[in-house]
Amino acid sequence: MSAVESATAIQRSQVDLLDFIDWSGVECLNQNSNHSIANALKQGYREDEGLNLESDADEQLLIYIPFTQVIKLHSIVIKGSEEEGPKTVKLFSNKEHMGFSNVNDFPSSDTAVLSPDNLKGKPTVLKYVKFQNVRSLTIFIEDNQSGSEITKVQKIALHGSTVETTDMKGLKKIEEH
Amino acid sequence: MVLEATMICIDNSERMRNGDYSPSRFQAQADAVNLICGAKTQSNPENTVGVLIMAGKGVRVLVTPTSDLGKLLACMHGLEIGGEMDLAAGIQVAQLALKHRQNKKQQQRIIVFAGSPIKPDKKSLEMIGRKLKKNSVALDIVNFGEDDEGKTEKLEALLAAVNNNDSSHIVHVPAGPNALSDVLISTPIFTGDGEGGSGFAAAAAAAAAGGVSGFEFGVDPNLDPELALALRVSMEEERARQEAAAKKAAEEASKQEKGGEQQSSSQDATMTEHASGATSEADNKRNDLSDDDNALLQQALAMSMDEPASSHDVQDTEMSDAAADDPELALALQLSVQDSAKDSSSQADVSKLLADQSFVSSILASLPGVDPNDPSVKEVLASMQSQSETQQKQDEDRAPNEEKFGSS
Repeated sequence: MSAVESATAIQRSQVDLLDFIDWSGVECLNQNSNHSIANALKQGYREDEGLNLESDADEQLLIYIPFTQVIKLHSIVIKGSEEEGPKTVKLFSNKEHMGFSNVNDFPSSDTAVLSPDNLKGKPTVLKYVKFQNVRSLTIFIEDNQSGSEITKVQKIALHGSTVETTDMKGLKKIEEH
Repeated sequence: MVLEATMICIDNSERMRNGDYSPSRFQAQADAVNLICGAKTQSNPENTVGVLIMAGKGVRVLVTPTSDLGKLLACMHGLEIGGEMDLAAGIQVAQLALKHRQNKKQQQRIIVFAGSPIKPDKKSLEMIGRKLKKNSVALDIVNFGEDDEGKTEKLEALLAAVNNNDSSHIVHVPAGPNALSDVLISTPIFTGDGEGGSGFAAAAAAAAAGGVSGFEFGVDPNLDPELALALRVSMEEERARQEAAAKKAAEEASKQEKGGEQQSSSQDATMTEHASGATSEADNKRNDLSDDDNALLQQALAMSMDEPASSHDVQDTEMSDAAADDPELALALQLSVQDSAKDSSSQADVSKLLADQSFVSSILASLPGVDPNDPSVKEVLASMQSQSETQQKQDEDRAPNEEKFGSS
């Protein structure tokens, strides 16, 4: 029972990590310059259904997101259209400056295959233990749902907690139960 | 000034022996490479450039990306010509070399010199291009030599596949008397996506093409921003002045009478309206004045010393020109104009103002081209001083008398 409670408690203390993204270092390879990563990540843009991140030369996308402080990543929300939304998504933590050529040389910290539910906004819970000490996150979108030439991502949201500033009040609540 | 890592792919195949580009294709290519290395390293000191050869025994990297210009220039020595160019392998090796650059913040660029026929077909070239685009590598192609087997078409297709927001370019250089490097200097390969390029390129262009530089006023904003700004500002000032002159020519007749008593907010406007009474003489004076500020100053001072009998229009012309330079002076002069229109004794006021050594020297210092230490200026000031002293004495004599009358 305490395990379940602690699981829900962890979820309670998750915040949207948007505030901790170091925008100066955000990079996206193979993005269409008119439909850039900002459309999927930034507050406001990502809520707009008309603004998508689109791939350019082929269907793969490589997104690099550094953070301003060390975070723990709990779950990720990727929203997209049913056909052109991403399918296989590989996440790498703390790997700087990867390219498409070496992306398959390392084992990923986690791989998610997105279902249509996920694409509507259901969070994908990740292997929390692998993302305990994340300075930067690399998201590799390998293919999309229908196998088309262009992958379109409407929103990417990261949920987790920061390492330095864990909310003490949240912890106390667990103990009360 | 973009931070860039560049790989230059040189064609050293047998076809480079051809003399259709003077002195030989290979030599022309080497000159162009040297120029590019210089331009890149100069436009941003953190830029790195590397060189590889595409022919010979095989694709070989001569210099990995470095910012050391000496190394780059030296690597071209002792290069042997031979073999056939392998474009696909060359571009792929260049991409690999860029991938392993030290500073990951640098943008990646490949410059290819394609002087021989191209073996791969259009499809494979397009695939290569797309791969480059995917990894955000820009590509510049220098197409020279003979055009056979659809070479131009293939290269255009490659460029279209790579091009992302016009960051990639292609230049076709036909054989002829023009050196390869001269043709390249004016292209975006040198000037870097139209940002304005480097002073190096501008200087080389000026030397080679006879002063045709890409910049206004021939000054590179990157190299000397203050000078460029100053030139631009003075150009605009001159334009504004000329516009005002055109305006006054149109309003000549009507403003002539009203000009003297009008109190307008813009001092310069007042001045020019005054001057509208004068004929083209005013224009000539204006032109002359711009040559010698000293002479103007002496004239202005002499004018203000004179009895009010001197024509206001001419006086005001002089003042208007001086006024354009210094608002402080303009204010003083406007005061003098208004006063002189009413009362002759105000001349004393002006001369008192001018007699104030510190005030005058501060005005002189702010006038461009006038050196307060100039002997002729000093002379004028000295003569003024003596004149104003006599006037002051007169005033002092007057004042006690007035007081006497006032008190009694």
